[in-house]
Amino acid sequence: MDTSSPAAFVNGALLRRYIGQKVRAVIQVIRSDIGSVIGKSTDDQQIVVKGSPNPPLTTYIEVIGIAETENTIRAEVWTNFGDSFDAQNYNELCKLANGEFRHLFI
Amino acid sequence: MFSSSQFEPNSAFSGGGFMSSQPSQAYESSSSTAKNREFQGLVPVTVKQITECFQSSGEKSGLVINGISLTNVSLVGLVCDKDVSKVTEVRFTLDDGTGRIDCKRWVNETFDAREMESVRDGTYVRVNGHLKTFQGKTQLLVFSVRPIMDFNEVTFHYIECIHFYSQNSESQGQQVGDVTQSVNTTFQGGSNTNQPTPLNPVVSSQNNDGNGRKNLDDMILDYLKQPACTARQQGIHIDEIAQQLKVPKNKLEGVVQSLEGDGLIYSTIDEYHFKHVEL
Repeated sequence: MDTSSPAAFVNGALLRRYIGQKVRAVIQVIRSDIGSVIGKSTDDQQIVVKGSPNPPLTTYIEVIGIAETENTIRAEVWTNFGDSFDAQNYNELCKLANGEFRHLFI
Repeated sequence: MFSSSQFEPNSAFSGGGFMSSQPSQAYESSSSTAKNREFQGLVPVTVKQITECFQSSGEKSGLVINGISLTNVSLVGLVCDKDVSKVTEVRFTLDDGTGRIDCKRWVNETFDAREMESVRDGTYVRVNGHLKTFQGKTQLLVFSVRPIMDFNEVTFHYIECIHFYSQNSESQGQQVGDVTQSVNTTFQGGSNTNQPTPLNPVVSSQNNDGNGRKNLDDMILDYLKQPACTARQQGIHIDEIAQQLKVPKNKLEGVVQSLEGDGLIYSTIDEYHFKHVEL
């Protein structure tokens, strides 16, 4: 077992706490450019995800990577999370996983 | 969709090929004390929880989280390093974002082989298995690996981990409850001028350098950081903060919102109760 590089659950507001560290976030894709995807975090903030995913992307994607700034993530792993995903639930999970129950996660 | 994937594994338990789990359970239940509650079902956990309980319980065979000994666990994560070099087993590493754990699936029947074929590196799966420590290494002997089709299950799994954890930390809960009661009564009973000692020093020391908002930030944080406040599970009502810090409520609301936005505090049972985020 290895827990040396956990990925923290983040929404837009929590991202700034993990700059330089590994994070995971679910993003609603707004548009894809070359080398980056512009999207919306689960708390409705605009996030730029750098990297090149394998198209096609679904409405919601999960990215795991390094938080570069308070609104950019350099993604290493992209996973399609489908077109119907409950972003609000995920957002509440982000808060719990960074608050009272943080020790279960990171 | 969730419930079917949750309960189907029961049939896998009763089926042949998992003899290892049966005798150990029988042994444990006969020898266990009343303190160690048994939980025979699948327990939703994160890799981090498994690592921690191994560190605390040493190399003992029984795995204990919150005083409950675990035999079978359920995890959700990404498959990586899938290794099919052996005919009778498939090995892979499961990465659930909190850590990685080595998994092994015995391939006895064509059913097992078929189930493992659909699983590739980078696939999100729900894994049900039995925790084993062998030669100092922890391994998950997996009896079901199912690709996740509806990704709300990912959210669900972690919420279920939190739920199971908090439901079973009742001994802690009782303590917190007691503290809450005592704090509540002192708060309601005391008047503004005559407060119980632990709550006041923060206020007076901070009030002097009248540095507007920044200062209010710290005052709220300091207030919420007090042990008497952190111990209260339901958080602190904004009215109480206002009364204690002698600041008008409307002035507080904006600051509280920005603190919440920064992830320094969070709302608890409703939008008026807050707790400090412990790091």
